[in-house]
Amino acid sequence: MKMPAVAESEQLPVQQAREGKPEAWDILFRRYQLPLYVYVFELVRNEQTSLDIVQEVFIAAARHIGGLRESDKFGSWLFGIAHQKVIQLWRKRDGKEVLFDEVPESPDAFEDGPDDLLIRREQEAEFMNLLNQLPLPQRSVLLLHFVEDFPLEEIARITETQLGTVKSRIHYAKKLMRKLLEEKE
Amino acid sequence: MKTPGDILFARHQAAAPKLDAIRREIVQELNNQETKEQSRPHNFVAWFLCCSNKLWLELVWPCRRIWTGLAAVWILIFVFNFSQRDPAELMARKSPPPSPEMILTFSEQQRLLAELTRLNETQAVEPPKRFMPQPRSEGRIEALTA
Repeated sequence: MKMPAVAESEQLPVQQAREGKPEAWDILFRRYQLPLYVYVFELVRNEQTSLDIVQEVFIAAARHIGGLRESDKFGSWLFGIAHQKVIQLWRKRDGKEVLFDEVPESPDAFEDGPDDLLIRREQEAEFMNLLNQLPLPQRSVLLLHFVEDFPLEEIARITETQLGTVKSRIHYAKKLMRKLLEEKE
Repeated sequence: MKTPGDILFARHQAAAPKLDAIRREIVQELNNQETKEQSRPHNFVAWFLCCSNKLWLELVWPCRRIWTGLAAVWILIFVFNFSQRDPAELMARKSPPPSPEMILTFSEQQRLLAELTRLNETQAVEPPKRFMPQPRSEGRIEALTA
């Protein structure tokens, strides 16, 4: 079920999309539509708003593909647009800055791989519940980590935060989830 | 056991038809745009702008640091070259125009030089003495008698 996250440049027709070929855009949108939707939905918690944001992201991507410097970073570029749209929405809703409570940095503490957190069937609902309880910045980086398995540097670029901050956010979020899941057993 | 990614994708799989509809709509719009662009007569200005934009994006923009570096090097070379210019030339430019006496002396000198060269030329043009070959033996006898 998980989307392939490697060797994008070999498989994805980013260059053809730059040349404005609709069939290339079709392939790219098909590849990213669900991961983008999952990321946006888990942050905004509203189906219609999430669909609207995904649509806006696709339109913005088709318009501004010229601004993409490295073709192999298409995925993170697209998620970067989505992240900005979500932040705009939060600002409109709350009328204030959203990115927010910093956790202390511990760059050396990050050792976890993307799939080290395995969840049993009966724990799935609990996992989703815990994910929704996480503060937005931690939820955001964790989702990028789970959904697309982006490298930490790219997560930092998407969320426009320091690498150390990304490492500590993921580390603390996963630690917290693991602890809560163990407590519920 | 499932990974968090698997759980998230499975949970939102139901949104796939709606996402497909959005994708199709946008791709259709892109198709229409492409058809319009193909049917539009080619405008030279639009073509030129498109090409320059492509060149800018593909050649200059990705390596703008290199281009900036090159420009800086060129400026340095230009400044260095300018500072190393021949001072005599600069002095000549800066010096006031020559006085009439100086011009007179200069023309006098030129006239003298022209005369001298003409004299040399006439000497050089004078035909050489004719050489009359003699038999070798006669020459020897003359020398002995002398």
